Amino acid sequence: MLLEYIAIGVLLFLATAVAAIAIFLGELFGPKRKSDKKAQPYESGMLPIGPGTRRMPVRFYLIAVLFILFDIEIVFFLPWAVVFRQLGLFGLIEMIIFIGILLVGYIYAWKKGALEWE
Amino acid sequence: MTAYNSTMILAILPEILLLVLGVLVLLFDVVWKGEKRRALGWLTAGGTALISIVTLLIGRPGEPQSVFGGMLRFDWLGFAFKQIFLLGAIATALFMMDIEKLSRRGQAYALLLTATLGMSLMASAADLVMLYLAIETTSIPLYVLAGFLLDDDRSAEAGFKYLLFGAMTSAVLLYGFSLLYGFTGTTSLTSFVGSLPLALGLVFLIVVGLGFKISAVPFHFWAPDTYEGSPTPVAGFLSTASKAAGFAVLLRLFLTAFPQFVEQWAAVLAVLATVTMTVGNLLALAQKNIKRLLAYSSIAHAGYILIGVVAASKLGVASVIFYLIAYLLTNLAAFGIAAAFGRAAGSDEIASYAGLSRRSPGLAFAMLVAFLSLAGMPPFGGFIAKVLVFTAAVETGWVWLAVVGVVNSIIGLYYYLTVLKVVYLYRMEGENEEQYPIPLTRPYALALTTLSIAILVIGVLFAPWFDSASLAALNLF
Repeated sequence: MLLEYIAIGVLLFLATAVAAIAIFLGELFGPKRKSDKKAQPYESGMLPIGPGTRRMPVRFYLIAVLFILFDIEIVFFLPWAVVFRQLGLFGLIEMIIFIGILLVGYIYAWKKGALEWE
Repeated sequence: MTAYNSTMILAILPEILLLVLGVLVLLFDVVWKGEKRRALGWLTAGGTALISIVTLLIGRPGEPQSVFGGMLRFDWLGFAFKQIFLLGAIATALFMMDIEKLSRRGQAYALLLTATLGMSLMASAADLVMLYLAIETTSIPLYVLAGFLLDDDRSAEAGFKYLLFGAMTSAVLLYGFSLLYGFTGTTSLTSFVGSLPLALGLVFLIVVGLGFKISAVPFHFWAPDTYEGSPTPVAGFLSTASKAAGFAVLLRLFLTAFPQFVEQWAAVLAVLATVTMTVGNLLALAQKNIKRLLAYSSIAHAGYILIGVVAASKLGVASVIFYLIAYLLTNLAAFGIAAAFGRAAGSDEIASYAGLSRRSPGLAFAMLVAFLSLAGMPPFGGFIAKVLVFTAAVETGWVWLAVVGVVNSIIGLYYYLTVLKVVYLYRMEGENEEQYPIPLTRPYALALTTLSIAILVIGVLFAPWFDSASLAALNLF
């Protein structure tokens, strides 16, 4: 049974080998003239100021989490709307339960002050 | 088209009720203010107790059957484990009520209930996707709970360490699942058809993931640090319910997916059990902190329980379930005592327990019961549990493993008795201990009394519990 997979193994090996050989050959024969200009991240553009990583206010994180929560609500709504008639009453009740649980989450976030930008 | 039937509702009745309770807790967390929030603990514990009673009355399974398109099994094995988790959640909620930074925050209780929900699903999951989802539903709230005390560096470290280990092993486990799916072509837990080396490879990958959950050596490094840093009731929950969930999956997965390779994986687990018992017990000898001591002792206990899994017989599975019940009661009591003492005395060092028998005779006695049961002394639950596990090993021919277990129990006895020696024989230097009482609040008194009585009852009247465990074990064969 394993032999059926040997083609994948050969492919994996060849792909790695070709890539490795290409890089190796380039390193070996390519001319290298290093300069400060070449070492910059952008050859033509603004000079970089300060480090690339910056501190982000944690508020954004909270907003992102809330966004995901209600985003998923929409993701569930769409397929439900497509087969709304086939699912009938059962689907409707299930959706109401789902929204009810999310609503509790919404009230919780609201009352705990997660929606205020301070 | 019948979208559902009543069996499906019954199969996930505890999960539904846990979700409702969690939602209620969040709502009341918003409604109640200030001191009133302490009642959230009563709500959680009482609600969980009610769930346990309701499921015992109307949610009992009949013939084992698959529900939700084979996603879940509705059988006695899952049912027994769900009751174990509910019990763990009740005691943990009670212990959490008087930890200052936990008790007034509804999230803690909601997270506890979510984790319990995930464990319930773990116990009945019969599909790889469902299983993985359930494991994550359990793990993520537990990561947060372990690091819940944000202004305490050690708690943050505990949570972070738990998260890193958990994420890593969970990835390895998922890799094993993906290979299992790749070779069988189905995500359902059917018997694996394939060659032996393949099966062994998969077993190794899965053991990594579940070994982390049950804190078996060599996947135990997180346990002492996490238990020490996290809030004590949470540590108790991690070491009992979370461990039981790991064993539930281990039993169902290995006996359903790899029954024809039982000799090989039993050998792997036997080695694991030996190492786990020995390392856990030897490292526990050197501990000065009660929570670290209990962490290493819980590692050693994972080793004893693994003996029952290695036996892979009906008696073996029954003994595992029985051991988990006894161990859950005992270890929850032990961590509850550590929590009660820690919040009153402000220290988790074993040396600070000196004079406890005079400072709080009740607490000291509960400690005597719990530690003797952990050591495996009759007439407590821990003794019967060990006897059953060793019997199962001898019955299936693993005599050497039973011998290793017995030797380890004797090593264990030493450090449990050392703690009791400090509690009963040592005094506080030049102080009158009665001036330093350890106040026990009502939740602690209630939980510790119930647990102590339960430890004794399960050790004396073990037959009904063992019958239930045997009934659950039958579902796997």
